Amino acid sequence: MINKNNYETFFMSYIDNELNAAEIAAVEAFVLTDSKYTEELALFEKTKVHTPSTESIEMEDKIFLYRFPEMQASLDTNFKKSLYKKEAPIRKIVFTPNLMRASFTIAALLILFIGIQLFKTNTAIKEKASVVSTNNASTHSKQTENTILPSKELDASLKNSNAAIVSSQPVNKKINLINNSVIEPSTNSVIDIEKHSASNHINSNIINAEESQSALLVKLHETQIRSSAMETVSNEEVKNIPVILSSYQEINTEQEDRTINIGMLEIDGAAFRGITRRVSALLKRNKIEKEK
Amino acid sequence: MTDLEFNICVDDYSDGVYRFILKISKNKEDAKDIVQTAFEKLWVNREKVETLKAKSYLFTVAYHLMIDQLRKENKIVMTDSFDETTQTVSQGSSELKQLLLQAINNLNPTQKSLILLKDYEGYSYQEIGEIMQLSESQVKVYLHRARLILKNKLTHVEKMSA
Repeated sequence: MINKNNYETFFMSYIDNELNAAEIAAVEAFVLTDSKYTEELALFEKTKVHTPSTESIEMEDKIFLYRFPEMQASLDTNFKKSLYKKEAPIRKIVFTPNLMRASFTIAALLILFIGIQLFKTNTAIKEKASVVSTNNASTHSKQTENTILPSKELDASLKNSNAAIVSSQPVNKKINLINNSVIEPSTNSVIDIEKHSASNHINSNIINAEESQSALLVKLHETQIRSSAMETVSNEEVKNIPVILSSYQEINTEQEDRTINIGMLEIDGAAFRGITRRVSALLKRNKIEKEK
Repeated sequence: MTDLEFNICVDDYSDGVYRFILKISKNKEDAKDIVQTAFEKLWVNREKVETLKAKSYLFTVAYHLMIDQLRKENKIVMTDSFDETTQTVSQGSSELKQLLLQAINNLNPTQKSLILLKDYEGYSYQEIGEIMQLSESQVKVYLHRARLILKNKLTHVEKMSA
């Protein structure tokens, strides 16, 4: 029942329309007992917010809240499904014993093929090297084959050697004697040499001239002996003479036109060096920039 | 709930929900978004929600969305400022009414929601409890506290003016 202690609760329930008819009547009777309660109920009434008639807060864009059947997209399910990209099937490779064997044989064949190719390239390089060495050897042999040279060539060589001789008169006399005994045309050259006076290099030239002359004499004797012997020696015997063509090629790493062989590949040495230099320069530049 | 019934709900309740949210959040765009989301949820659950309970459902969803929004924006503590919408609402009303609206704005969101749901929308304690997920007695106590605050404020202003 409403009294002095709980009247506020009843008043608030009254203004909130949460009281039944009997309680409402009791509250109205209680208020009439004292004007103080009338004023207090009026104050509670003022706390109630009444919706004013002028207030017209309406939501904008209300049209978007409506649902019309036309607005609802009705796409065919098959079409929707077709929009999804199908995943590619994952192929699982199971290594069966047969497959393992096959793969091993293929790998072995590949290794064998690569090995053969490498062997071929190595042999080709060696052959090239041997050809080069034989050429060198042939040029060298030309120098040593003075013994087999014909007499005319010998004369020419002797002339050249005589021309190089600058010596004093006693030596020239000796040479003249030798030359006259063996070769006649050399006398003219000796005479020419005699016309030239002796220089300050006499002593050294004498020694050189003596050595060369003695060597020449030995060679001349050998040629005479061999030429006479060669006539008698048969062709079969010539064939039996062993020819040793062993030579060693020294590779010059600083040579710019050198080619680098890696398997079947031939790389130009100069180009390769240029590339390496550029790469190193680039790396250095990057390092400097990073340090900056 | 059919399409037609849903559209009737839009006609009947969209303004009420929008007003309720706008009064508390004071942001038109937020209020619009919340109303849109609430009706979207109603549409999704139209098979489960009865037409008679659609209003309560809409207010419940909107209220919780608003609370989440306020928590996100850290706006739980309301300011004393009177925004444009409140001023337009109070145009033509008495000075006492303006003071009352100002006092309501100073209430916390729960008390404000209780006052608005009771006075503006005319919900019973039980319905408010359902919307705000409170018991009936809790609604009664919280609402009475809010009214006492408002009454004390009005009394103080009246004494000052006298």
